[in-house]
Amino acid sequence: MKATIIVKPKKGVLDPQGNAIKKVASNYFGVDFVDIRAGKYFEVELNSDNAKDIIEKLASQILSNEIIEDYEIIYESRHS
Amino acid sequence: MKVAIVRFLGTNCDFDCEFAASYMGAKTRFVWHEETNLKEFDCVILPGGFSYGDYLRAGALAKFTKLANALIDFDKFGGYILGICNGFQILTELHLLEGALITNTNLRFIHKHVYIKRMPSICKMTRLIEKDILKMPIAHKEGNFYCDEKTLKKLNDETRVVFRYCDKKGTINEESNPNGSLENIAGICNKKGNILGLMPHPERAVSFLGEDGEYFFSFLR
Repeated sequence: MKATIIVKPKKGVLDPQGNAIKKVASNYFGVDFVDIRAGKYFEVELNSDNAKDIIEKLASQILSNEIIEDYEIIYESRHS
Repeated sequence: MKVAIVRFLGTNCDFDCEFAASYMGAKTRFVWHEETNLKEFDCVILPGGFSYGDYLRAGALAKFTKLANALIDFDKFGGYILGICNGFQILTELHLLEGALITNTNLRFIHKHVYIKRMPSICKMTRLIEKDILKMPIAHKEGNFYCDEKTLKKLNDETRVVFRYCDKKGTINEESNPNGSLENIAGICNKKGNILGLMPHPERAVSFLGEDGEYFFSFLR
């Protein structure tokens, strides 16, 4: 099974990296970006009967810290 | 007092901590992250550094070591656990302490001397410190203490904020906050008062490096 996991800073949690990018991008394009949030992206491949379970735990227990981050898992369809 | 100085891959303040603890008269032993038993010790120090290259999140990968499990057992018996800098980050990742240390608001690695104020708290390790304002260095990029409002209220209500960044006179204000930490928080302890995490480096302020680290480590005497 293949999956993509996106980890992003929780709403309300200060994201200094996103803020810095926002400032630079706003200056560069001469527009006011309302918000830019920076996160992390993981591509995972696992062959196991309970792959979904394990990938879910991977995202919640290792790849993200629930205090400051949310995660989203996108499973790749088998037919693609 | 017998002190364990823990070494993960990437720990780099181990010798400084060993020097400081020995200087204060404690017996010390370096402990590798694969060790499983800490019963011989009274205190475990998690030194600063970049455990596992700070990959994923600062302190995140150290929690999957054998030593981390031993640490949880050690806490059950009430042993003292002191996490300095990366050690503090590891303790929050292990959920032995609340909150998280996120990137400094200015996105920079900050290394300079700061003042911190010892707050009235339930921390067992700081009771013997004979002064309230201490000067010592910080050296981190992820030292910006964050937690949600509910946790912050709990930390305050239970007097578990142990140190706050302040100026030379002890005034706690925005100017004296080096990294954006909520309410200038530099260190907190757990509910039992036996686990302390702080971002500043007291081990770099002993002997010829300063005296306030010696005040800090009074509990080792």
